[in-house]
Amino acid sequence: MKRSAWLAAVACILVVIAGCGGDDGSSAGGNGKASGEVTIWAMGTEGEKLGMLAKDFMRTNPDVKVKVTPIAWDVAHDKLITAVAGNKTPDVSQMGTTWMGEFANTGALDPVPDDIDTSQFFEGARDTAVVDGTTYGVPWYVETRVLYYRTDIAKKAGVTPPKTWDQLQAAAQALKEKGGAKYGISLSPNNWQEFLPFVWQNGGDVIKDNEMTFDSPEVVEALKYYQTFFKDGLTADSVPEGFDVTQGFVAGTHPMFFSGPWHMSLIEEQGGADLKGKWDIAPMPKKKTGTSFVGGSDLVVFNGSDNKAAAWAFVKYLLRPDVQRKWYATVSDLPAVQSAWEQGKLATDPHLQLFGEQLKDAKSPPPIPKWEQIAAEAVNAELEKATVGGESAEQAAKNMQQKASSIGTE
Amino acid sequence: MSAAALEHGQAVPRRTVWSRLSRHLTGWLFALPWLVIFLVFLAIPILASLALSFTGFGIANLRDWFSADFVGLDNYSKLLSDERFHKAARNTAIFVVVGVPLTLASGLVAALGLNQAIGRFQALFRVGYYLPVVTSIVAIAVIWRYLLNPDFGLVNAVLGLVGIDGPNWLGEKSTALASIIALGVWRNFGFDMVIFLAALQGINPVLYEAAKVDGATPWAMFRRVTLPLLRPTILFLAVITSVGYLQLFEEPFVMTGGGPLDSTLSVAMYVYEQGFRFLNLGYASAVAYALFIAIVVLTFIQFRVLRSDEYV
Repeated sequence: MKRSAWLAAVACILVVIAGCGGDDGSSAGGNGKASGEVTIWAMGTEGEKLGMLAKDFMRTNPDVKVKVTPIAWDVAHDKLITAVAGNKTPDVSQMGTTWMGEFANTGALDPVPDDIDTSQFFEGARDTAVVDGTTYGVPWYVETRVLYYRTDIAKKAGVTPPKTWDQLQAAAQALKEKGGAKYGISLSPNNWQEFLPFVWQNGGDVIKDNEMTFDSPEVVEALKYYQTFFKDGLTADSVPEGFDVTQGFVAGTHPMFFSGPWHMSLIEEQGGADLKGKWDIAPMPKKKTGTSFVGGSDLVVFNGSDNKAAAWAFVKYLLRPDVQRKWYATVSDLPAVQSAWEQGKLATDPHLQLFGEQLKDAKSPPPIPKWEQIAAEAVNAELEKATVGGESAEQAAKNMQQKASSIGTE
Repeated sequence: MSAAALEHGQAVPRRTVWSRLSRHLTGWLFALPWLVIFLVFLAIPILASLALSFTGFGIANLRDWFSADFVGLDNYSKLLSDERFHKAARNTAIFVVVGVPLTLASGLVAALGLNQAIGRFQALFRVGYYLPVVTSIVAIAVIWRYLLNPDFGLVNAVLGLVGIDGPNWLGEKSTALASIIALGVWRNFGFDMVIFLAALQGINPVLYEAAKVDGATPWAMFRRVTLPLLRPTILFLAVITSVGYLQLFEEPFVMTGGGPLDSTLSVAMYVYEQGFRFLNLGYASAVAYALFIAIVVLTFIQFRVLRSDEYV
């Protein structure tokens, strides 16, 4: 309880310190020493393991020296912000797909050169880096959400993997009533990442041509559908901080949920031998489409870099299909480059193929600078009111529209 | 000082001037480390954030911060119509108004109990009550998050034993803030207890003996002797505890994330969210200053109300 009153003060000092550093940064950039050194910031597991690929790259490009700086995910955003504020940016950085709008807005990112063919990526992933018509980064690896379900409980309840909205609802009902599970499905009452796919599946969107479209009939209908799971008690009406659905899935209380590829290993770990063969994944249910959410990380080059040519060369290396496959084998990151999926385990494993198929129909929110705030204050807040706060879908959509518009796109 | 020396002319021996100067110099030298830290890490940022609160500073201004628009009092007038800020202010006010008296009362009761008790148990209880104060708040909050979990939490399991179906403490609007208040009181009353205990032990026993001779009941002794003598201590603790509680942050941050439906969002959390998540640094500074003003006003009121001319 002590430090918080000075939060704004701390914000300032960050800016001040970074600002002081900035002077050295620009003067160093000014004398134009093109040393052939490329610094890259990478987060989490990627940061720990990327050194391996850097070594491979340096073997074929001996005049370039690649330096990998690992950063923890929870400080990465602050660190990047501080770096931009102080002109102390690395040459290359990994970047969360939902941060792209923000960072493109600072003017610190270098547009992707023409010799990188952006049609090689999954469309939804590529779109995360396109801000106001300019591409500011390339997708490095991707993840998308699919339906996880317990096959044993489904069998008991007599349901097959749901293919449509109606079937999803019926399945949740049956898993709860006939399957004996505590809930039918696990949906978050206040997480836009779980809700937006339903809007997209319904043929809607939340922003079109820089105008918010939260009050469109497609969003209202998606909200109404999402609400039914809460009204009928098919999902828990609150998700505790730090909640991990894996526990509930393994215990059988939450027999269905939507999540990304990382949950496969989590379920295997926590479920052990007992759960083997008792669960499976299925594509997103369809309304008009079966669109899912696409996340992952992009790679960006900062325009403060002294060595953009070498920086982009390293990025291009990371995008080579064989390197993307090797990276998958190392850290299980799904390749963003479509042609990387044509060989090896990625082409044969049925679970991975399902993710590969889903990636062809997956979207992300538009990369606008204020998305984080719109997501939290407009979408999450109103979604929670609609699911557990007793607000009508129409009212929630109207409020989302009004709040999102007042926060703005710029 | 040198001016003073000149005025007195020869009347002041040189050695005295020098020794006075060197004495001051020593003082300043000792104060220097703190002074530098204060200036660089507190004074400058505090003034800078005051300046920031009159601008629309945001992410687009990061690289050239003088490009931020001067917006005058816009950020402050926005506070007046910002529903989430109002909610955060209301939650924080409830936390202070309910939490501070509860913490002080619990601390006083525990101190009175310990003051009566003799023998080795006094030390044991003193440590027991004080332990939460010195334990990391984040660790405590994480553990309480588990204890209060509706599905596998200890609290509801115990309630279940006596046939009560416990609520989803942190997940329901009606109980979330109350749970956070309870945690705050439990964590902080140990500090108040230690201070009260010291104050109680400083009261001259002769006063109680005199009261007893006059036939005073225990309640009358407490009311007429103990309480008036504790007044400065109560003032001190009320100020310290209120200032701490107004800055409520870690408990909701770790336990509820401000939810459900913003029912545990505090002003300090709102500052953090606006400043570091949404990067509206200008607006976040204005919120922080609103909180600062609230702290100053509350402290002033407490000094006024609790000041007793006899003992201060």
